[in-house]
Amino acid sequence: MSTQLHSLLKNSGLDPLKVALSSVPELFSMPDEKLLEFKTGLIHEAFSHHYANNPFFRSACDGKGVTPDSISTPADLVKIPLIPIELFKSNDSHKLLSISLRDVELEMRSTGTSGIPSVSRRCAKTIDNAVLGIYAMYREFLKISKGAGLYLCPSTEEIPEMGMIKALNMLAGLLDTHRFMVRQESFKPEEALAQLEEWNQKFNRHLIGPPFLINRFISYLKATDTRIKLDKNSYIITLGGWKRFSGQMLSRAEFNRECVEYLGVEESQIRDIYALVESNVVAIDDEHGVKHVSPFIHFSVRDPKQLDREVEPGETGQLAILDPLARSTPGFMLTEDLVRLLPEPSRSGRSGQRMQYVMRLPESKEFGCCAVNLDKRLEDLDAEQAASGSCPVVA
Amino acid sequence: MYNDIIIDNFSDPAHVGDIDGPEYQYEIGNPVCGDRIRIQISATGGRVDSARFRAWGCATSVATANIFCASLERLVLARLGERSDSEIEAMLGELEPSQYHCVEILQQLHRRLVDLAGEDCREATT
Repeated sequence: MSTQLHSLLKNSGLDPLKVALSSVPELFSMPDEKLLEFKTGLIHEAFSHHYANNPFFRSACDGKGVTPDSISTPADLVKIPLIPIELFKSNDSHKLLSISLRDVELEMRSTGTSGIPSVSRRCAKTIDNAVLGIYAMYREFLKISKGAGLYLCPSTEEIPEMGMIKALNMLAGLLDTHRFMVRQESFKPEEALAQLEEWNQKFNRHLIGPPFLINRFISYLKATDTRIKLDKNSYIITLGGWKRFSGQMLSRAEFNRECVEYLGVEESQIRDIYALVESNVVAIDDEHGVKHVSPFIHFSVRDPKQLDREVEPGETGQLAILDPLARSTPGFMLTEDLVRLLPEPSRSGRSGQRMQYVMRLPESKEFGCCAVNLDKRLEDLDAEQAASGSCPVVA
Repeated sequence: MYNDIIIDNFSDPAHVGDIDGPEYQYEIGNPVCGDRIRIQISATGGRVDSARFRAWGCATSVATANIFCASLERLVLARLGERSDSEIEAMLGELEPSQYHCVEILQQLHRRLVDLAGEDCREATT
């Protein structure tokens, strides 16, 4: 059926991937088996492209005896060689390109605690795919088309190449107005609060940013015993790690409780997004707090001790992403994230894959994205200010 | 987006690598989210024998490191400070605005080496 559908679309002059990108609700309505077959067709096409155009990847495939002919059913997907995510940080990351550098349109990056940037390079086709895919997912899960966005993060003007900010900034185009509240590495919660008050009764007010910065704002509200009531259509949208630079994990349950208490929202209005700069996937919370994977991208959860074996649904394992949207570099990557796929049916009625992020691999050399460095910088500045403003010690 | 100089130097970086016991070694970069470049140089009598780099960052910065190392081969270090800003800028060819920070990177690579090798340069020229 899936093969017939692919053939029908191609014979009609349509790109099956582009059709998929504009059919998110329809894909989420397909039976799981049919959706997986359809995704397998997309992944096979992408695999063939990279196999044909990327000597480094082809050599890895040939070494394992995997060719495009080897990938025909969903059960074959596990055979696809994976690019370890740290290769995006390597000196010779040029070997990851399946296209000429001349065709690269955009470089984006993310930097964790090691300070070494992971750089992803996207050609025009990949950007087309990513933009369509990300906006389709935003519309599916957030249905945002108006309102005001209080961005608790730096602007893309300050750090234009940062993947997290770029993805969040795409939401701004759907809003009536927005403000970035971290400027020159400085965040003043008083200004954020004043901005929310200014927008009150004029717009649906959304808070958008990495978890630690929204947490920072809530800490200010707690310290000043301030409770605000956002709007019934407001969202708290988070993207970025839940581990602070200090290693402290932010508790999602506690974060939710505090959003309810200090921001006056329901839990269903709090939406976290899982994304990786190297991939074009976004997994977004539904109204029940369950993350749905982009339906055109496949998550394969592997046994960390035997990476060619998938764990059972519901078991925790190391996430491999099979991303057919990526045309400039192979979108088949082994992340350093431990996740589990949720086997129970979706309460929101959607088919496809649902995931829960567990943690970064314990042996991972680093954690966090660009947000973790910003977190550290803001803490350092706070410490400096506190030191300069402290009472002189009388000997 | 990328000119031919950047494409050639990023796609085939002849000077990437390490030097055992380098005469000069230094690193520049943005501690928050930016590019990082480490340079190692071996030199004899004030003249560069070879220069190698390791770079992490955007394609233009990786190419910049290779261009810089290539420009040092067999160079008398005392001559390095004679390069003008416009000569240094021209080494990268025509850049897009988003790549222009690499001119600053290249200038920084020059300045740091001039400082590091300052004593040797003075000795070589006297």
